[in-house]
Amino acid sequence: MTRTIAITGKGGTGKTAITALLIRHLASSNQEILAIDADPDTNLPETLGCEVERTIGDMKEFMMTERDNLPPDVNKESIFESKIYEILNEMPKYDLIVMGRPEGSGCYCYINNLLRGIMDKMVENYDMVIMDTEAGLEHFSRKIIRNVDDLIVVTDGSRRGLRTAERIRELVKELETNVGNIYVIANKVTDETRETIKQTAEDLGLTLIGLVPADEMIVDRDLKGMPLFDLPDESIAVTEVNKIAERLGL
Amino acid sequence: MAEDFPFEISPMFEGERIRKNDMYVELAGPKSVGFELVRASEMDNVEDGKFTLIGPDISEMEEGGRYPFAMIYKIAGELVEEDLESIVERRNHDFQNYVQGLMHLNQRYDVWVRISKEAVGKGMTSFESIAKAIMMLFKNELPFIEKVEAIYITDKDEIEKRLDEAKEIYKSRDDRTRNLHDEDVDTFYGCTLCQSFAPSNVCVITPDRVSLCGAINWFDGRAAAKVDPEGPQFAIPKGDVIDDMSGEYTGVNEIAKTLSSGEYDRIKLHSFFEYPHTSCGCFEVVGFYIPEVDGIGWVDRDFPGTAPNGLPFSTMAGQTGGGKQVVGFLGIGINYFRSPKFIQADGGWNRVVWMPKNLKDRVISDIPADIVDKIATEEDVSDLESLKTFLNEKNHPVVDRWESEEEEIIEEVAEKTTATTMPQMQSTMPMNFPTMPQMTGEGGGVKIILKNAKVSVDKIIIKKND
Repeated sequence: MTRTIAITGKGGTGKTAITALLIRHLASSNQEILAIDADPDTNLPETLGCEVERTIGDMKEFMMTERDNLPPDVNKESIFESKIYEILNEMPKYDLIVMGRPEGSGCYCYINNLLRGIMDKMVENYDMVIMDTEAGLEHFSRKIIRNVDDLIVVTDGSRRGLRTAERIRELVKELETNVGNIYVIANKVTDETRETIKQTAEDLGLTLIGLVPADEMIVDRDLKGMPLFDLPDESIAVTEVNKIAERLGL
Repeated sequence: MAEDFPFEISPMFEGERIRKNDMYVELAGPKSVGFELVRASEMDNVEDGKFTLIGPDISEMEEGGRYPFAMIYKIAGELVEEDLESIVERRNHDFQNYVQGLMHLNQRYDVWVRISKEAVGKGMTSFESIAKAIMMLFKNELPFIEKVEAIYITDKDEIEKRLDEAKEIYKSRDDRTRNLHDEDVDTFYGCTLCQSFAPSNVCVITPDRVSLCGAINWFDGRAAAKVDPEGPQFAIPKGDVIDDMSGEYTGVNEIAKTLSSGEYDRIKLHSFFEYPHTSCGCFEVVGFYIPEVDGIGWVDRDFPGTAPNGLPFSTMAGQTGGGKQVVGFLGIGINYFRSPKFIQADGGWNRVVWMPKNLKDRVISDIPADIVDKIATEEDVSDLESLKTFLNEKNHPVVDRWESEEEEIIEEVAEKTTATTMPQMQSTMPMNFPTMPQMTGEGGGVKIILKNAKVSVDKIIIKKND
């Protein structure tokens, strides 16, 4: 069985950094890992340190524009599937696929319907799927990804940030996606904010699964545009994310 | 399985993917060349079960390498004919994926195959075992194949030499496929993907009519319905022909009734005015009747301006969509312009008077030569008046209709009849909203908003209802 973990949160909370560090942790195991960047901002590849040229969005556009030029009786699902595998980045420790650009103005019902089938089959080939997704959860609402075991909301620890977590929890109820557990990770936590965050999370009834401290090494690497995937073990954020991973049973 | 193969064979392995790290070799694919081809042959020309390999075998390939790869199958049998080639060829994809440790993607000259390290470790060291397994599956699952012979090629020069010939064959097949028409099949396909927001929409997909969104043609419908008959695309038995010209069939009418929950019980597939196809909301192009010139204009989603009737795509789409038969408007997929049956009940291209330039250019090769210059675009005309002048100057076929209608009117006036000459006209005026959602009954007040409407009346009497 594939376990699917989705990481979401407002922009700027560091959800992509947390995703990269969770992948870093998982990469040390022997599991087959699929990383999905489902945020249109597409920061995950860079944070992991790999280059991605083309995305699922590009392939959807390809299918839309080439549609009438393809032989009439070809199996479009089979072509689309092959195109999706073409853009799968096969890294030594994990595979990465990027959702990418939003849809154009036409009707994508049919293409998305094909994509659902292709993703269902693809996901089954992995032990672990970990996705970085924007707070609107669009790909869930489109059911491109149907089941999520653990949804992790990353927040900066402000009351407003935690409110976002609360809203996402409400949003999940409205979606038809099956979500097993919802957890919250507070990021960039300082000694001053630690206790307030814990209290706010408790007040809102959110399950706080970890508090990742503000890490100078990450700030430094972000500034230089360096990946986080190869952060050293001494990084205080790495240490905490590894603990979180253990709590999640990863 | 009957014979002994150094691998398992089962449909269970169909979704199996071979990751780069687990791959022994990659064959063909986006970074190499190759193809797959099935050829119908004479019985005498096929040696049943024979396998030929041109080029190195798996055991001679370097681990982690990438090689060109072509597969040719010659099939023979009393019922085997050329038209079956592509159907049999598709099954190569399925059967290869049944083999554990083998991944087959795509088709024709885009095939992409990977063999896993594990499979090679277990003894998949020769293409012969794979070919024999596939040939066995062909004969078991497709009993009309009486004899089958396989030729696999891993030699680049040999593949390139044969690739052009293969491409010729694919092309001639496609030409045949494009010649398939409504009358050649007994099944159409329906799609309900749009019913989530257009609950009474009935999308009927036929060889001569692509889905309104443009994404699903008859072959796509067939493929999807075969895999999941209960899915969003399903078969519609055509039934009896009621009218060939307008495309009315008993089977379509029945399904229309069921799918629209009884709202519609007739659909004419190639008609604009009478019982037209319902329009969902996804359609790529909307057709609109222009009573002033008795012609039809078409505007696509990407056209930002307004049509000669003063309305943009969005406004007309709003009135047309929602799964209704709206006489005077019709949503279509762009490829329907390429259909030889394109609104043939209402004169086909001879009734088309206006299209945006981009749209016209896109389908220009399918517009009959004698009409192509007579269809105006936004570069030629800007409103109804200039459209009328343009059509007159170009002597567009609709101009003849004007004259005959004028005569009719004169005659009718002379006879003092009250019959209207153009019954469509009343119901096709743009201000004829199918519903009036702006109307609210609360508090006894009524609010009517008319947008983009030109209303001219001689007299209006509003009386209080006592």
